[in-house]
Amino acid sequence: MRASRRRFLKTCSLMSIAGAASPFALNLAAISAASAQTLPGYKALVCLFFYGGNDHTNTFIPYDLASYGEYSASRSSIAIPRDAALAANATGPVASQGGREFAFNPALTAFKTHWDAGRLAVVANVGPLVVPTTKAQYQNRSVPLPPKLFSHNDQQAVWQAYRPIGEGANIGWGGRIGDLLAGQNANALFTCISAGGSSVFLSGVNVLQYQVGSSGPTSISGISGTIYGSGTAASTAYRSLITGTSPNLIENELRVVTNRSITANQQLAAALPAASTLVPAIPANNNLASQLGVIARIIAARTTLGSNRQVFLVSIGGFDSHDFLLTQHAQQLTLVNNAVDAFYSWLVQLGVQNDVTLFTASDFGRTLTSNGDGSDHGWGSHHFVLGGSVVGRDVYGFFSPTVFGSSVDIGQGNLVPGIAVDQYAATFGRWLGVSDTDMPLVLPNIVNFSPRYVSLLP
Amino acid sequence: MRHLLRALFAALVAVALGGCGAGDTSQAQTDPGPQGSGVNLAAVPKSSYPAPGASEAARFLNQVSFGANDAEMAKAQQYGYSAILEDQFYMPSQRTHEGYINTVTATDLGDEHVMYTFWREAATGQDQLKRRVAFALSQIFVISLQDANLQSYRRGVASYLDMLTRNAFGNYRQLLQDVTLHPMMGLYLSHLRNRKEDPATNRVPDQNYAREVMQLFSIGLYRLNPDGTLMLDGNGQPIETYGPNDIVGLSRVFTGFSWAGCPNTSTSCFNGSGTQSPNREVMPMQAFPQFHSVSEKTFLGTTIPTSTASDPMGDLNRALDVIALHPNVGPFIGRQLIQRLVTSNPSPAYVGRVAQAFNSGRYQSGAYSVGTGQRGDLKATITAILLDIEARTVPTSDPGKTREPILRLAQWMRAFYARSASGIFLVGTTDDPASSLGQSPMRSPTVFNYYRPGYVPPNTAIATAGLVAPELQIVNEVSVVGYSNFMRSIVQNGAGSNSPRDVQPDYTAEMALAHDANLLVDRVSLLLTAGSMSAGTRSLIVTAVNSIPYPGSNATTARLNRARLAVFFTLSSSDYLVQK
Repeated sequence: MRASRRRFLKTCSLMSIAGAASPFALNLAAISAASAQTLPGYKALVCLFFYGGNDHTNTFIPYDLASYGEYSASRSSIAIPRDAALAANATGPVASQGGREFAFNPALTAFKTHWDAGRLAVVANVGPLVVPTTKAQYQNRSVPLPPKLFSHNDQQAVWQAYRPIGEGANIGWGGRIGDLLAGQNANALFTCISAGGSSVFLSGVNVLQYQVGSSGPTSISGISGTIYGSGTAASTAYRSLITGTSPNLIENELRVVTNRSITANQQLAAALPAASTLVPAIPANNNLASQLGVIARIIAARTTLGSNRQVFLVSIGGFDSHDFLLTQHAQQLTLVNNAVDAFYSWLVQLGVQNDVTLFTASDFGRTLTSNGDGSDHGWGSHHFVLGGSVVGRDVYGFFSPTVFGSSVDIGQGNLVPGIAVDQYAATFGRWLGVSDTDMPLVLPNIVNFSPRYVSLLP
Repeated sequence: MRHLLRALFAALVAVALGGCGAGDTSQAQTDPGPQGSGVNLAAVPKSSYPAPGASEAARFLNQVSFGANDAEMAKAQQYGYSAILEDQFYMPSQRTHEGYINTVTATDLGDEHVMYTFWREAATGQDQLKRRVAFALSQIFVISLQDANLQSYRRGVASYLDMLTRNAFGNYRQLLQDVTLHPMMGLYLSHLRNRKEDPATNRVPDQNYAREVMQLFSIGLYRLNPDGTLMLDGNGQPIETYGPNDIVGLSRVFTGFSWAGCPNTSTSCFNGSGTQSPNREVMPMQAFPQFHSVSEKTFLGTTIPTSTASDPMGDLNRALDVIALHPNVGPFIGRQLIQRLVTSNPSPAYVGRVAQAFNSGRYQSGAYSVGTGQRGDLKATITAILLDIEARTVPTSDPGKTREPILRLAQWMRAFYARSASGIFLVGTTDDPASSLGQSPMRSPTVFNYYRPGYVPPNTAIATAGLVAPELQIVNEVSVVGYSNFMRSIVQNGAGSNSPRDVQPDYTAEMALAHDANLLVDRVSLLLTAGSMSAGTRSLIVTAVNSIPYPGSNATTARLNRARLAVFFTLSSSDYLVQK
């Protein structure tokens, strides 16, 4: 761990020689130096974040009779019935889980299709850890634990940030992957792009999170032409007014963001194909689908923009299902199902289905216990990985019996994770092009885990 | 389009009802209510500060109201800070949000109606400070119309904002209780219909409210020193205020509460089925003893022992007492109120002085004394925030705070006496960051508000300097475009729906100076930036104003366009966007 730390500091100091005076300025030369060689082809990661803490138990459901019996007994009033809709989404026996069967939530019909096609994998019981942790170690507090487990904002940050320091963390692992690979891109600004709002996930040491609207790039009208009958001198003055610099730190940052917005918008507006070129059409009344639509358009423009390695974030809220779990969770998962399915079609349309991997993340899993018509904040959770390069149709990790008092139940059926977020993240980082030796720069705690990668991606 | 028609209809109904003076509810809306506070401004004891000049008055009013205007500035300059505060402390509210909602036909009701009443009061309410503080409280004690559970309860959400307004000058303990028992909070954080544990089915109480009431509404995650800095243990580590067991204990307290207005012994009443009161969404939740846990409840060092008799209200009162008496509350809540009204990075000493006023319930500045002497007095707390030396002195090193988008639009309405043709301020939701404000009142994305009080924008000089900038969490490459284009249109065409748009500004005073770009820009700078515009910004705006020929072919048109341009450019400048 010590060696990696030194290496990290060394790399940082190299990067920050020129950048020290202006830490928010992109230091392209330094970024390029950190990336030793040009990587072949195009690859991108898409993180789909479920804000609120997804109820994993009702998302990927034990299905064989014995397993379903345990599930149903544990969940009582919030169990999903074992009916025809569930049967249609059943996986069949999964060898790696001792032949147990599972079923996707009835809303996730496309997930079942992608599973059958071998391009969707399930990762069981993933969550933040500092070191491998057993139930006993958790109960005795005999190993270091992530801070503020079960708290939304802190666990969102712990999932997304490269070290588990909770809310206030400002370096995410998506951003650190971007730091190492931005040199592969002609324009480093388009390395880490969020269509899903502000988050720490895509902020690196050098790389910034660039935010794009779900309807694509938009321009500030005041910087061109005339305003209220003015001469063109006014629009020139307007651009200077809203960009430029200020000695006031907050004022200056507003101007920096505005300047970046104007520059990036001009590049994207020229490069992106129209939304109407996507087939099928972007599903209506589905903001997640709109976000994925703009990501697909940015991927389509990869050659024009000179992008070879990209990390994207999209998000959907409404998963904090303390109440009305059965109805509202199904609504949210329907939006997810339709958006993700359309996105995969667009990837095929663009011929990049093997070059883009989408994975899910969330604040935390939820309790197995019912509070009447919902569930409460938990820890470990099941997640999905989709893409042509994914070794799919399998459940990775250990899917524990859905019973109270299991070897991973730390109370109320909350799961102590079997796979660390770091291992999950390293799997994607390696696939995108981060080397084994650089991985601790992205995920310092990865050195605590063996194996370091989940075998679902090459 | 549907919203527009709905709004038109509502406007027509309101006009029609107002015109023939029929109906109690509409009368409540058309009756202007009590005017003024009755406070003799000249007789209010003076604070330690001399009467302000014009720019100091504008600066003060931008902290204590939704925005300065000529009339209020003149009043502040004549009578001083304490008189303005005292006037506001006794200023009656002329209208309630719920009162407006009650005038709208239930089947027409949409989120936009909650927006309308918010904007009307922000723009024209005489009780500005109370409503400004209530808006700040709505960002600490968050509920949101974005939540699917609340979307059919606009009247309830309006009544929740009224409740915050009512408590803005009251006591924190009562505020905490009213928040806890409001059915909209009960729905939002799911302690409405929360049942006691049932070992037979593994059911445990919902922990949502127990967690958030401590994390967000009262004490926060870590123990604080009286000045709001983190208390550290022997290893230099922060000390957690509570752990999972405190949540379990406290979650049992918040069981057995549900809709009021039907028998509290009835299971169907508890479940919200059967005959329910039409007013249940505006009445505090009631206790249902049979659904309340009688198990032991241990939290924050207090234990309510197992009992044989269920006592929901007794347990709730005891729990809220324990929470409200925690030493973190003063600095935790005080610091956030400073951030909403004055600056993002108050010094620890400033937070300490505000916490002291919260704890003692009293604040004194010169001859002006405020407060009941009871812990949690919000009048004393607010006065401490607004009359502190750090609030009343233009800072030299503190960069200030970003004005949040809602306050920007509100300030434009106030500064230029915007009036609504319908009288209703038909400004609907402004959620979309790409084409409007990226923020609407009472529509936070989550219980964590639009932004966090500790937000640090990554990779910035702000982060390097160790500062926070909460409002920058909703500033990004998309939002800066949306804001600029939105305001460009509003400054020219007015705000809201209808054609011409319902909310129109009055630029008469600006037009009068518009022949001289320097005079014009100085006036707009005074109103909007309290005269803090930098020389560089001023010069750019003067250049732009002069690019509109005067008198040109029509002097009046030229004056109007010049006024609009000066306003739009100022609203776009970082000098304005950051309140100092």
